[in-house]
Amino acid sequence: MSNVFEILAEMKAIGLKLVLVGNPNVGKSSVINLLTGSQFFASNYPGTSTEIEKAVLKINQVEFAFYDTLGVYSLYTDREEATLTRTLLEEQNYDLIINIVDASNLERNLVLTYELLERGYPLLVLLNQVDRTRELGIQIDVAELARILQRPVIAFSATNNEGVSEFRQFLEELGKKPDAGREKEFTRQGLPRIVLMEDTSCSGNCGSCSTSRESCSIDLDLQLAEKARKTSQAVSTFKTPAKHSLINDVQFFIDRPYVGTISLLLLAYLALVVLTKFISFSEGPISQLLEPLSNMLHNWILAIMPAGFLTTVLAKAIPEGLVIPFTIIMPAMLMVSLLMAVLEDTGLLPRYSVAMERFGQLFGVSGQAVIPLSLGFGCRTPAVMATRILPNDAQRFIVITLLSIVIPCAATVGVIVMISAKFEASLTVIVLTMLVVMTLLGLLLSRLSPREEAFIYELPPLRVPRRKNVWSKIKLRFAGFFTEVLPLLLVMSIAIRALIESHLLEIFNSMDALTKVIFGIPAEAFVAVLITIFQRYLAPLVLLNLDLSAREATIALSMIALSLPCLPVMVVTVREMGFSSLTKILLMGFITSALVGISLNLILPF
Amino acid sequence: MLATEMKKGQKAMVRSFGRGRGMERRLFEMGIMPGTEIELLEKHPFKGPLLFQVGQARIVLGRNIAAHLEVEITEISLPSHFGS
Repeated sequence: MSNVFEILAEMKAIGLKLVLVGNPNVGKSSVINLLTGSQFFASNYPGTSTEIEKAVLKINQVEFAFYDTLGVYSLYTDREEATLTRTLLEEQNYDLIINIVDASNLERNLVLTYELLERGYPLLVLLNQVDRTRELGIQIDVAELARILQRPVIAFSATNNEGVSEFRQFLEELGKKPDAGREKEFTRQGLPRIVLMEDTSCSGNCGSCSTSRESCSIDLDLQLAEKARKTSQAVSTFKTPAKHSLINDVQFFIDRPYVGTISLLLLAYLALVVLTKFISFSEGPISQLLEPLSNMLHNWILAIMPAGFLTTVLAKAIPEGLVIPFTIIMPAMLMVSLLMAVLEDTGLLPRYSVAMERFGQLFGVSGQAVIPLSLGFGCRTPAVMATRILPNDAQRFIVITLLSIVIPCAATVGVIVMISAKFEASLTVIVLTMLVVMTLLGLLLSRLSPREEAFIYELPPLRVPRRKNVWSKIKLRFAGFFTEVLPLLLVMSIAIRALIESHLLEIFNSMDALTKVIFGIPAEAFVAVLITIFQRYLAPLVLLNLDLSAREATIALSMIALSLPCLPVMVVTVREMGFSSLTKILLMGFITSALVGISLNLILPF
Repeated sequence: MLATEMKKGQKAMVRSFGRGRGMERRLFEMGIMPGTEIELLEKHPFKGPLLFQVGQARIVLGRNIAAHLEVEITEISLPSHFGS
């Protein structure tokens, strides 16, 4: 969120500069997307945009640069979003502020409008979502609003293009005017810098406070709120109660505590089923299609390179590194982008954070974390991508760590069940171990995230997702597949192959006594565990040939189940969070795995 | 009374907020200030959050926030599934 200074520097060079300011989730990004054809992330929940974005529109050779700021309820909020917006506005490098106002929630939105007016900023009010407002039975007298505010007001809807031509016309007129004329049109006062009140400066005890009443901002706040209320009342007429719509019924159902929460969980489960089915359906045909290519590549490398260690590594790693992305990651990325886009656009996503608030608190994350966590039971690769729906990096790290170390994906469960059946290992012990580790790790990780003690949130209205919006999001999220995922997987696949083929891990083979004392398993099994940790699908190959007792197999399998994520997950983690986060997760994975082995060896009877 | 003591479907007028200035400010931004009418729509179990209708917006408050919100019941409406 630090691009504000770059933007300020750049603004000096451009023709006409317009800054969009508005409450969270009033549709700033949608307005910009509609006007300029750009594709910023627009979702149906507050806080979608996290950077100031720029888009350019050309009308009659005049360039209009739109700057989409982060949603703020007030200019005076002591939060980063508001600080950035304030910095941008204080510099006064722009020509006009476009104040996007949610017409269906006029009273509250006008508080910000009055804050802007009070500072004498040049302003146009774009009354967005007028279509929804009419559906709610509210009529707004646009001319009267313009008269009261003494600023131009345009009724607008980013959903049905209402007001677009009027707004373009306004811009055309603005573009024709010479600079001086523009200056005159809007009053611009050199007001002193905005000074924020210290959080602790008000005791609520006005009689004994050193701050004079006039300068105490809560009083001024209330005055502005009162103005906003009066204006809103003066221009709104409430007609017959809202039309009865299906989406409203669904919303009331979903927002109910018990049935709503159960429905949300069922929906998350459905998403998991759809994702898993989609991956397993597409995996077969895609790998069949790629198999000849992969074999060809393998033979070709063997043919052109001199026999040796490097050739063996490359001949195995390159085909693997190219096939895995297409068979697993590509379908997963596509499907999870679609699921996420739908959750975001409908406004269902923030409802998870409300319904699951208590659950999320256990791990120090928002309730929305149930979505990536439940997707993880299908495949952890898309689940890691889905952590993007979480509000901040600290929370994403917690959830990715949980996903990487404790959540077993369908493939892991398959391998574990198969091998435990062969050696009669105790599944109960394995499952219990996983639950204990999950709880302990959760407790530990929850300390990482600064606890947001205040849960104050505005629920967006539910709506039917817009096809265009969903499609552009899928495209945006899929964009990194060829440029990031593919090369990264290739490199990491070679590294892991080299480790396995170098037989470096087998030096542990001579340490039978040591591994038996520490983990209670023979050295051979320990090496197998290490190999499996890196390449889970090799597990049947390296484990099934060993001669293990039930106890040894239980320990070995628990160590495998609670260790490192598979290669695709590692790649996606690097892409999402960077190498340092992956390193931390891998380290924690190794430690967890070792602790699990040691503890089980101490606890389990012979 | 406190907002946490409200029953589902009840409407109340906000009187004051008995906690730090920062929190008061955030509530103000959501349109919750002395004199605002709020309606309790839903109460989540296990001390979960409360869902209020504030104007045309649906605002969720954590239990610990609502516990500092002093309100006065104005009207007892029947719980409706389809809102106001």
